[in-house]
Amino acid sequence: MRKTLIAGIAAGALIAVATAIPASAADGDAKLSVLHAVPGLTVDVYVNNALTLDDFTPGTLAGPLELPAGTYTVAITAADAADASAPAIGPIDLTLAAGGNYTAVAHLDPAGKPTATLYTNDTSTLAAGQGRLTVRHDAAAPAVDVLAGGAAVISNLSNPGEQSLTLPAGTVSASVAATGTTAPVIGPADVTVAEGTNTIVYAWGSLEAGNLALATQTIDGLHSNPGGVPAGEAGLVATNRPADAAPLWAGAAIILLIGAAFGGLRLRRLASAKADR
Amino acid sequence: MSGIALAAATLLLLAGCAGGADAGQAAGSNSTPTVTATETPTPTPTPASGTGAAAAPVIPDVPRTDASIGAAAAAPTVVPVRVEVPDLGVDVSVAPEGTDADGALALPSDPGIASWYRFGPSPWSAAGSTVIASHVDSLEYGIGQFARLTDAAPGTVVLVTAEDGRVERFVVQTVDVEAKNGIDWATVFDRTGPPRLSLITCGGEFDYSTGHYLSNVIVTAVPDA
Repeated sequence: MRKTLIAGIAAGALIAVATAIPASAADGDAKLSVLHAVPGLTVDVYVNNALTLDDFTPGTLAGPLELPAGTYTVAITAADAADASAPAIGPIDLTLAAGGNYTAVAHLDPAGKPTATLYTNDTSTLAAGQGRLTVRHDAAAPAVDVLAGGAAVISNLSNPGEQSLTLPAGTVSASVAATGTTAPVIGPADVTVAEGTNTIVYAWGSLEAGNLALATQTIDGLHSNPGGVPAGEAGLVATNRPADAAPLWAGAAIILLIGAAFGGLRLRRLASAKADR
Repeated sequence: MSGIALAAATLLLLAGCAGGADAGQAAGSNSTPTVTATETPTPTPTPASGTGAAAAPVIPDVPRTDASIGAAAAAPTVVPVRVEVPDLGVDVSVAPEGTDADGALALPSDPGIASWYRFGPSPWSAAGSTVIASHVDSLEYGIGQFARLTDAAPGTVVLVTAEDGRVERFVVQTVDVEAKNGIDWATVFDRTGPPRLSLITCGGEFDYSTGHYLSNVIVTAVPDA
């Protein structure tokens, strides 16, 4: 296939490649990842008619590409195509905003026909300790629920929709079932929801062909930090401690001790009262 | 830094086009996900000259990963379980903690158990500030061992032990008493940059009306070379 390209493409095409994917990332560039989620089909991906992903296999995530804001034409061809003129999917125009984070997914539509969807990835900051879980339906299958701990956490998600949750960081045992049912068509599978990370789970494949699967993509660095370290409560080592503070604290300790003694006494009385019965 | 920039630039040259993200992340210390190699001067590839030259088509080297669930599982962070400052008689156990209801670092009430911020780096992470904090005092337990940290001189040795038994040795660089309302927590909890250890407790003046100290004591230590 490379041979075909060498034979068939003049120097102008080389310049087209250079303009399609800029040499260096710049401030404000958009990020574009590409997920191949069409079962059983190795493809080539062309961006603005320039071959960008050669022999791209299903279940593979590529990128992110750093691209200046703008509109890009993406065509997905069979892996042995000579150019982008007869795409299997597309061509589709992807409009990328400055600083945006995107994933273009080649996948099956509900009827099992190859298509492509551009998703915008949520990179907003998460609270300390939290993670984001995004689920995208890219499978030839009816609407689904996502179940965790036996309950639906995402309901009635249909191809090519997405839903997002914010969760305490941890591992979620998740399964996918047809909407309104609980019998898994995928999973259960352990999904790590990492702190400060958008974990994107893609349901892909075909229900009819029996090859439904999950793919994941993570976007990290979305964390925020604890807002303080409250590491003292008594003033025992304060630089503004009153000179007579020590006797005061001794007094407080004695009061606490007395309280503890009475508490203990009361417990013993209760115990003996029970024993008497 | 110029050496790193040069190395990054070289990598970019070798990678052709789209290797910028990787090279930038390897060389940089940025904490945000969207910044990559922005300060690195990058060469523009020279367009193929001549006509019909037998050069292979320039296909960008875009990183690819197996997206199967579980395929890209990150290596678990090595958990610290003990901190010692032998010169000061400090020897406390360490518990992994997150945040409290106010979004501050959660701390065990017992000053004999320090809190390690489990979402940040540990001493065995490749980069960033490990934060281990302990109460300076407690109404129930009295004065904690971390009260002695203000006596740490530069060069004082700090030992951190992991749950698998390995020990990382640090030396104190600075001891700062900073007003709580002026501390840049993004710096204290920074997950990037050179590996370092931040031991934190409270200190300075005490507000007897709110029951809080007005300052934090922050001891910064670096791995012993």
